[in-house]
Amino acid sequence: MSATRIHSKPKSWLWGTLTSIRLTVFLLLILAAVAVIGTVVPQNQPPNQYFSRFGEVWGELLWRGGFTRVYFSPWFLGPISLLAANILACVIHGLPQAVKRTLQPLTVSAALTLPERGRIIWPAGIDPQPLIAATLKRELGHCRQETLPDQEIYLLERGRCRPVGPYLIHVALLLILAGGLIGKFGGVDGQLAIDQGEVAGAFQVAPRVEKPLNFQVRLDKFQVSYYEPGGSPKEFRSDLTFMQDGREVSRATCRVNEPVSFGGLTFYQSSYGAQATGPVRLQVQKGGLNQTVEVAYRRPVDLAGGEGKVWLMQVDGNHQGYGPAVLIASQAGADHPMAFWIFQNLPGLAKSPYHPGLVKQPGVYSFTVESIPFGYYSVFQVKHDPGVGWVYAGFLLLLPGLYLAFFRPVERWALVLAKTPQGTWQGRLLGASPRHREEFAARQERLLTELKRGTQS
Amino acid sequence: MISQVLGAVMLIYLLVAILFLMAELWSSARLQGLGRIVLWLGLGLHTGALTGRWWKSYHLALGHSPTAALAGKLQIMIIQAPLSNFYESLIFFSWCLPALGLLAFRRYFKGYLGAMVALLSTLLLAYASFGVDSQIKPLMPALKSNWLLIHVVTAFLGYAAFALAFGTAILYLFQERRPRPSLPPLPLLDSLIYRTTVLGFLMLTLGIATGAVWAETAWGRYWSWDPKETWSLITWFIYAALLHARHLKGWHGRRIAWLAVLGFMAVLFTYLGVSFLLTGLHSYLT
Repeated sequence: MSATRIHSKPKSWLWGTLTSIRLTVFLLLILAAVAVIGTVVPQNQPPNQYFSRFGEVWGELLWRGGFTRVYFSPWFLGPISLLAANILACVIHGLPQAVKRTLQPLTVSAALTLPERGRIIWPAGIDPQPLIAATLKRELGHCRQETLPDQEIYLLERGRCRPVGPYLIHVALLLILAGGLIGKFGGVDGQLAIDQGEVAGAFQVAPRVEKPLNFQVRLDKFQVSYYEPGGSPKEFRSDLTFMQDGREVSRATCRVNEPVSFGGLTFYQSSYGAQATGPVRLQVQKGGLNQTVEVAYRRPVDLAGGEGKVWLMQVDGNHQGYGPAVLIASQAGADHPMAFWIFQNLPGLAKSPYHPGLVKQPGVYSFTVESIPFGYYSVFQVKHDPGVGWVYAGFLLLLPGLYLAFFRPVERWALVLAKTPQGTWQGRLLGASPRHREEFAARQERLLTELKRGTQS
Repeated sequence: MISQVLGAVMLIYLLVAILFLMAELWSSARLQGLGRIVLWLGLGLHTGALTGRWWKSYHLALGHSPTAALAGKLQIMIIQAPLSNFYESLIFFSWCLPALGLLAFRRYFKGYLGAMVALLSTLLLAYASFGVDSQIKPLMPALKSNWLLIHVVTAFLGYAAFALAFGTAILYLFQERRPRPSLPPLPLLDSLIYRTTVLGFLMLTLGIATGAVWAETAWGRYWSWDPKETWSLITWFIYAALLHARHLKGWHGRRIAWLAVLGFMAVLFTYLGVSFLLTGLHSYLT
């Protein structure tokens, strides 16, 4: 990644390898390959998922080989650390040189070694200096003028800072990687699930590991709204109250894309759900027979007539925007159990021809909901990441880096004006632009045409 | 109405491609000029269709959450940019191609190069008009963010620049195998591949960075190794390798052209493959 072609005194083999572009390309290829594996093999799944999907042998291989958490395995961390070392070595290797070049203005002696691009001879009696100054200013901006005993030299350079550009990009990448490390080791990241109306004083940082908060947080209300019944969700909203020693300190509303910060932690709306807070009462009809049953999770209830049993699977406070609903499983005899939704406010939905599928009630019974006692809960991502600032600083630094490296061509120009023995003025245009030949050639043509225009009058 | 206009735009781009090709075959400057005028006409209509859709979805959103305040309206205007589903992304992608082509190719936007850009755009619009749901749907909560606009715009400008580099690289490889005087000369194609790649690299970098900042405010994670993120990083690696090869190893011509082709394959996978073959945070397409 070193953007230098300077071959200074021979360094050790290790340093040579660390600063080599070959290592960079090799590492980029390895990282790309590992990343491809990471997108093809689902990550962070329980082990049995891999066995059922990839078979015993491959599943075992993937699981033991660390490919199921590949971005946290040596397969990825190794090459990425080496890449960081590679970038750092290149920055150390080349940055001082680049800074030095940036600080050195174009000198007369350096300018005189630039290749010649054209000659202009003005007729006797014409002083071309005003024309030259005007033309150069219009085309190239402000010029420096040096007066030697028998020559006038106009100097101009653009993009002198360009050599720093690639190093800014690479320093930015190091900042981003450092931010990742700082966040990994200096940050906290967990989940907090609170029932509506409840107060939490701790959050979960790993399965069955809780971390206390140094304040309390209460979920006053959770709301989910839809654009229209059966439409897509419009908003998930949690109203929170933060408390210190039981005293209310502040209130805030947390939505997706609108996180809330308190006490050094930030809360992100992550998911939600509802659960039954008491038995759900259903009205069951069969012929002229009416029955009220109470259903609970995982506890099948026999129905009158003995032709089936039902149990509660899920409660939703606003299912697809149609209001409260329950997911019920029913089983008749040894048949497979069937699941279906019953909406509290839309008892006729089951018979409507427009909503087949999940609301269709199997068997001989027809169900309506009498009451659904439920409460929402809301789940938050809770975190403190001191590395984010570093990452963002890296992003910001990328901008000037990319601009200098790719959009700021280096151009050096010199116009050497001298008196010929005949007493007329002769100008020699010198210049070079190593990487932008096309723009350079166009500018050269314009400059020469403009300057030669003065020779005709 | 808007989809009819887009249908017309598709035909106009096809016509542009034909005009540019005919102009090249008969070396007619007049046809080149005509092609260019028709291209601008198509781009104007295309811009109009995009604006129309923006206006429509703005009013739809205003109906869902009415507000009288100017700030509120402006906010809705920003997040309702027509960039929120697969159809809209295709329409914007196909807009970026000629727009960016005019910017990057300038006076070389003619002949085979111009026809190539117009054809790519036609293909995208054809895809959008045939198998893709074009309904305007209200935004889901995760997409309601000011970052949507800048993230999607930079990402697709990046995709489009890489598509231009890809098309130019294909022309390069053709020209190298069977030189034709009517095709642009190799050094020009080479420098255009480089120019568009640099543009794409800048935009992809911005797209990834803005996406990271957005993810941080939406989910509290600037990077989650979601397949789309990962594939955009793979794409970034490939183009980074290309730029290093060119700047430090002096690679030119064929090898750079092949890398540009490879890079665009990764772009296509990032755009389409990830969405249809893998699942993740970016599954907004269907």
